[in-house]
Amino acid sequence: MKRRRRDRLGDILSYAFMALMFVFFSWPLIWLLSMALRTRKEVFLGVARLIPKSPTLDNFVAVLTSSQFLVYLVNALKLSCLSAVGCLIVAAPAAYAFSRFDFKGKGLWMLGILAFQMISPLVIMVPLYRYMSRLGLIDGHFGTTMVYIALGVPVVTWLLKGYMDGIPRSLDEAALIDGCSRLSVFVRIILPLSTPGVASAFIITVIAGWSQFLVPFLLITKDSLVPIGVGIFQYAGTQNASTIQILAAACLISVVPAIVAFLALQRLILSAMTAGAVKG
Amino acid sequence: MSASAARRKPSILGASGRQNRLPSPYPWLMPVILVMGLFYLYPVIDVFRYAFTDLTLLGGEGHYTLSTFGNVLRRPELAQILWVTFVFTAGSVIGQQVIGLAIALVVVRAEKRRLFGTTILRTTALVAWVVPGIAGGIIWKMLFNEAPFGGLNSLLRLMGMAPVQWLSDPDIAMWSVVLSNIWRGTAFSMVVMYAALKAIDPTLYEAAEMDGATARQKLAFVTLPQLRPAILVNMILITIQTLNTFDAIIALSGGGPGRATEVLSLYTFNVVFRNYDLAAGSVLSILMLAISLGLALVYAAFLPKEDRS
Repeated sequence: MKRRRRDRLGDILSYAFMALMFVFFSWPLIWLLSMALRTRKEVFLGVARLIPKSPTLDNFVAVLTSSQFLVYLVNALKLSCLSAVGCLIVAAPAAYAFSRFDFKGKGLWMLGILAFQMISPLVIMVPLYRYMSRLGLIDGHFGTTMVYIALGVPVVTWLLKGYMDGIPRSLDEAALIDGCSRLSVFVRIILPLSTPGVASAFIITVIAGWSQFLVPFLLITKDSLVPIGVGIFQYAGTQNASTIQILAAACLISVVPAIVAFLALQRLILSAMTAGAVKG
Repeated sequence: MSASAARRKPSILGASGRQNRLPSPYPWLMPVILVMGLFYLYPVIDVFRYAFTDLTLLGGEGHYTLSTFGNVLRRPELAQILWVTFVFTAGSVIGQQVIGLAIALVVVRAEKRRLFGTTILRTTALVAWVVPGIAGGIIWKMLFNEAPFGGLNSLLRLMGMAPVQWLSDPDIAMWSVVLSNIWRGTAFSMVVMYAALKAIDPTLYEAAEMDGATARQKLAFVTLPQLRPAILVNMILITIQTLNTFDAIIALSGGGPGRATEVLSLYTFNVVFRNYDLAAGSVLSILMLAISLGLALVYAAFLPKEDRS
């Protein structure tokens, strides 16, 4: 009896805590949506008009028809997809080697690759900016894509290695006995079997690329080449209190693709994310 | 079996007569070595070289000098920058770790009791985590808007409380920035803590129950000790992430008011790309590297021995 009452009390406290946390995490996004749907007049009514009386899509129309916004979105999509493909091409062979070969210093190599994660992109951008401007790679997508790839490689290598570890080695061995070379084992057997791992690595890299700010902010100055992260930052700088609803719409448009991509593959991404941290 | 295969097809399985089981890994690692060497290792080495020069971004080759190091480390504003960085990092890391653990504990309990809403809570937190840093900064800037119709101040007014100067009061601005960072970062800790909680051997709890342990005792003597490695690894990861945070702050407060929220990464950025002082920026970059490495080593020292390898 006493126990049941304590459980009931625990349930109430759990619900209260979960509700509080839900409000904390959702409020900023609800507010963003509310602002984006308001007319200019309703912006000044604050929380009293959380649900706008006359919701409007004009703000979205204004953003999408404004000269550069679609260009920013396309640039961001291009940069993040190209760099995700590049990342996979660079990391997959290494992941295979780490998963299948036993060689001296393997653990050290893997830790070394992970250690790059500790280095802030800002640190490498200091000299990279100088090289790139000398090589004339400023204001092109090539240099930026290459830096995105370097930023993504450590995580993707670890992720794919972890996935390939789950594919039985006997498959490799059978194929080798049948006369396959290592390369064709990798291309014809391991890669196709790694499709879920490759897909989640791809999505994670695309989301990371979509969120990039610092690298393109420094390496791309031409407005027609800028991706959304930089575009929206510059856009925010030109806005004031009377256009806050348009900025909200712009912000929402820039956020939604990342959220949708994440939600679509949530399960895969989460297991990939925790594998590294929990294994230590 | 593979030996007989090797006899049949020696040309494919290594001309040097080595067994096919031990091919060289280096051709496979070459792309990674090239990319990381060119875009990470070489720049980092160059940062150390630049730190001993007087290079600027305005051009010229610069000269080697030892004075940049001393000049930068003696700058009067550096102490303030480091303090701000410390408060921002400590506040964010502790907040994310504590809230992440609390949510994970409650979610695990709620799932056991079949309560409603755990998936919604987890997903909402994760959505915040996916929001790009710049967008997060812009969103929170709208919330912190100090006009009567701001996202938080109008809420406060509704509850009959006085408005807060979220971003213009130097004493409050730092906590506003920390709050926004906790909002964006907590989901990671939550997911890691949740997975670690699920990995605890349930027989430990059964044994504790047999011994008549209360819920609080189970938390203190079973759950927390079992979580220790996961907590430490998580703290390393989020500390480094927080130290490198840059975009969320530049979009939210820009480092202001004054220098109240100018963390080391933002300061380094300003030194290099606003004042064009490449050499000084390199010294600050080395400082950033040293701080992350030092903290990682400190945390690692607390890891249980069998997990250290």
